[in-house]
Amino acid sequence: MNLIAAAILAPLSMMVLILLLRRFPAALALLGAAVGMFASLYLLADAFNGQGNQLILPGLPDMPLRLISTPLTALLSTLVAGVSSLVLVYAVGYMKKDSEKVRFFATMLLFVSAMQTLVLAGDWILLLAAWELIGLSSYLLIGFWYRRPGVTSAATRAFLVTRSADLGLYIAVFILIASAGSSDIATTLNTGGNAAIAAGFFLLVAAMGKSAQTPLHDWLQRAMAGPTPVSALLHSATLVAAGAILLIRVAPMLPPEVLLVIGLVGGVTTVVTGLIALGERDLKRLTAASTSSQYGLMLVAVGAGVPLAALLHLIAHATIKSGLFLGAGIFQHSRNSTVLVNLQGAGRDRPRVFFGYALAALALAGIPPMSGYFSKEAIIAASLASPNVLLLAPLALAGTLLTGAYMARALRILWHGDRKSHKIVGLYWMGAGLAGLVTLAVILGVAFPAIETLLNTRLPENTPTRFPPEIFGLGAAVGGLILGWFFTARRLLGPLLPWVQQGFTIAGGFDNLMVRPAFAIARSCERLERILYAGVFAVGRFGLDIGRAVRRNDEQGIDGLIFSLVRNTVELGSRARSLQSGLIHREMAITVVGTALILAALLLALLVY
Amino acid sequence: MLPIVSITLFLPLLGALLVMTLRKAPVQVVHTIGIVTSGLTLMGVVRMWSRGVNETGFAQLEQLDWMPSIGAAYRVGVDGISLPLVLLTALLFFVTFIYSAKVRKQSHAFVALMLLLETASIGVFTALDAILFYVFFEVSLVAMYFMIAEWGHEDRQRAALMFFIYTFLGSLPLLLAILGLYLGSDPHTFDMRDWISNPPLNGTAAMLALVAMLITFAVKTPVFPFHTWLPAAHVQAPAAGSVILAGVMLKFGTYGLVRFAFQMTPDAFRDAGIVILVFGVVAALYGAFAALAQSDLKRLVAYTSVNHMGYIIIGVAIAALATDPAIRATALDGSVLQMVSHGLVTGALFLLVGMLQDRANTREMDQFGGLLNVIPILGWSFVLAAFASLGLPGLAHFPAEFQIFLATLQVEPVAVIAILGIVITAGLYLRAIGKVFLGEPREKWTNMADLNVREVLALSPLLILIVAVGVVPAWVLDVIHKTTAALQF
Repeated sequence: MNLIAAAILAPLSMMVLILLLRRFPAALALLGAAVGMFASLYLLADAFNGQGNQLILPGLPDMPLRLISTPLTALLSTLVAGVSSLVLVYAVGYMKKDSEKVRFFATMLLFVSAMQTLVLAGDWILLLAAWELIGLSSYLLIGFWYRRPGVTSAATRAFLVTRSADLGLYIAVFILIASAGSSDIATTLNTGGNAAIAAGFFLLVAAMGKSAQTPLHDWLQRAMAGPTPVSALLHSATLVAAGAILLIRVAPMLPPEVLLVIGLVGGVTTVVTGLIALGERDLKRLTAASTSSQYGLMLVAVGAGVPLAALLHLIAHATIKSGLFLGAGIFQHSRNSTVLVNLQGAGRDRPRVFFGYALAALALAGIPPMSGYFSKEAIIAASLASPNVLLLAPLALAGTLLTGAYMARALRILWHGDRKSHKIVGLYWMGAGLAGLVTLAVILGVAFPAIETLLNTRLPENTPTRFPPEIFGLGAAVGGLILGWFFTARRLLGPLLPWVQQGFTIAGGFDNLMVRPAFAIARSCERLERILYAGVFAVGRFGLDIGRAVRRNDEQGIDGLIFSLVRNTVELGSRARSLQSGLIHREMAITVVGTALILAALLLALLVY
Repeated sequence: MLPIVSITLFLPLLGALLVMTLRKAPVQVVHTIGIVTSGLTLMGVVRMWSRGVNETGFAQLEQLDWMPSIGAAYRVGVDGISLPLVLLTALLFFVTFIYSAKVRKQSHAFVALMLLLETASIGVFTALDAILFYVFFEVSLVAMYFMIAEWGHEDRQRAALMFFIYTFLGSLPLLLAILGLYLGSDPHTFDMRDWISNPPLNGTAAMLALVAMLITFAVKTPVFPFHTWLPAAHVQAPAAGSVILAGVMLKFGTYGLVRFAFQMTPDAFRDAGIVILVFGVVAALYGAFAALAQSDLKRLVAYTSVNHMGYIIIGVAIAALATDPAIRATALDGSVLQMVSHGLVTGALFLLVGMLQDRANTREMDQFGGLLNVIPILGWSFVLAAFASLGLPGLAHFPAEFQIFLATLQVEPVAVIAILGIVITAGLYLRAIGKVFLGEPREKWTNMADLNVREVLALSPLLILIVAVGVVPAWVLDVIHKTTAALQF
């Protein structure tokens, strides 16, 4: 079997098996993830040997579906498989007490195979399909506990906001196919001129939706209503990552105008959502805001023209962020809450978990020698070397400072406080998943040179500044950590705090700008409906009068041909009349006859003359 | 060679006659006759499918002299545009018969009428003679009138009559257009193939004929503002009637739009293309917004039909405006596939709403809540069908809408605004799913029974095909594309 197909079909077939058997969901899910992992690793090994792989499937006429394994797609496929496997290991413990494991693991596998399709897609139609299917999977997973209040609206919001932005992808894909005459992604990347500019901006819109960039960042925090393993997967290597992956893949095509906007969107997001994370009162929501912030940094890298830096941060962030969520999930189970006030001291109760969590937090802040340090340095260096250095570099550095600050704040709260955690089930499975991810988060930096070799690109060496960029980045990271550890959010944010805690909602956000107008239009359509409906009945009454007149005056003068034409109608009218007793009904039957007579007369006239 | 098309076409009529002669037969026998007859019809269509269509013109032609003096004859056959619709028709009737096996009220008349309606519906798609087409077109109307008036809900008579008046008056202009085309053809004939290969009218006459046809098909499709009969009819129609009405009979409008308006008055259609396109865009958006305002689940599904049919109008208009044959083929592929997809998806949705109403005696969304837990099979089937309806990839509507919008962007980029419809339908379906199926189950519904075997059997062919068309659209598109790629326009 083709290895690309295996990476997608292994989780998918296990999903089907779980749904059919309705037993052993966890074991089958792990099996599916493991087989998929091997397939991805094989693809990656082949890529290192310079071997590609391709699979062409029937699609639309003249537009076949393609799956391709290139160094980039094989790498991303391995990342998806690796992170999802470890998250599934963790989920075995986390979901131990849940009664609906079949549905949970089946949907998780659907999610994984849809994401594998997305990263391995070689044509736009398949990519678009996978793009929407991960939206569906996350809707199902965020809404997993659909009986709880507020869950449904969170899932609905996540799907609707991302789908609104997905229209950008639809239109970009149409533009690219139209101008290149092919749906093959590699071919369309040669697009230039206005088509590239337009497509670039629409792609950015799509990426902003999925990667929760300002002003579309709100849904991601609400998505915390789902189980924690879902968040871990959603934020690291799947749903949210799709936006950045899309921009990384199309980066060679993007013209400078688009790059500048991408960089600015990313820069603004990293600061705005960084501030939100700093003011957050809930650990999972803090982590969610941090996700937007980190993806903002990746967009800065793409905007600065160094997509490789974005890719490295994507990889580092995937392992770090899933680790952070897995840690948060253990603390959540220990205290039955994710509110920071209730989590005070939860870390001290479980020092080993806290140690893992702290390593991941430091990695995210960008402390050497962990993976986040290398990727973040690459981003800051890229922003400093960019032609738009004055715009991008301050934003990137501010984002880095904020990362340190909110992570240190979380660590401080988790460490200080009373010890009151209770025993939890499934800790070994959860611990194993966490340990695996934190290990990756710590050591992956070592693999970065190999990745550069694999992709045959290097990070730019030259630095235009007098100081090495490491000083800026490390300074910001350490400064942030110190601020966050020693000062409370209230002290740091001051008067900004209330606004920050509302999530920087501008003009009422999605509800006021999208939902309310949509319903207002819908209501006016409904009013128009009633008017139209009443109008039709008025016309009916008018026809009735004419019909009576026609019957009175003209019946005698019309020859048999017309009667043969209308006989059926008359019959039908009388049968209709016999069916019921209402007056309106009979009158309307006469209307038919009358109007039919008029039209028949017209028809006859046409035939004769 | 066996005249498969004619056998398939008249099998249901034979079944209807059989039912009428067996007046004393028990109810189960009558329903069995209905299911078996429609099953055999479906097999006949599958045989037609395996015979396939030609690169150009019509395949599987069968003809008999009828009225040679006026050039009317019995002529039937299929091409890539009609064959998928014939398959859809036979399938929807088959599942509707399975679903309706519970009907006890005048079941003889019910089965006979449904079988008559099946012959009429297949006849509309296979007829190649305009008189024959018109006869089938009108017979289907009468059959559906009685279906609603006799087996519908509370206010059924009023709705049935409104449906009848609307579509009956609506179909008269088509008769005028047919006569016009007849008079314009030389020698005079009602052979639709001649009218297609050699359009008989031009100039003002063609435009007048086009306008007449557009009125008929706009009422039938229906297109805003001629759609008011649709929600009224659907709300009162029995579930079986709704499935056939939305799944099959709305396609008469769009099929006629392609077969008659597009193919027989091509130049006039091209001139009017922009106007038709505007009607399509307005219908698509208006249908979506009107659906968003509904609280009755069946009305909601009915209005999304207006939205989906709007996309088909857009596709056909774009095909007319396109100058590149490849883009024209893409637009038409999408439009025809959308007809099939809409039949499958909306058929499934109306069945599901009907099943829900059988259990709860209400369709008000606010009355429900948390049903996913109580009736998981029905619930998840609804979720699947709803996501198909909102255009999720991997399900039936996506490939069709993708092709329509892809062609639209290349011909008339502004019209892509209609794509907003897919977000609005997403919103209204998620809202409906949330209200009806998610949340905490209500006390009064906790004993609701899930789908029984009969209902699962009726539903599963549709759900399987929704996925099959979505994942591998090629098996339908290959048939459609064969015709659209070679289309003379």
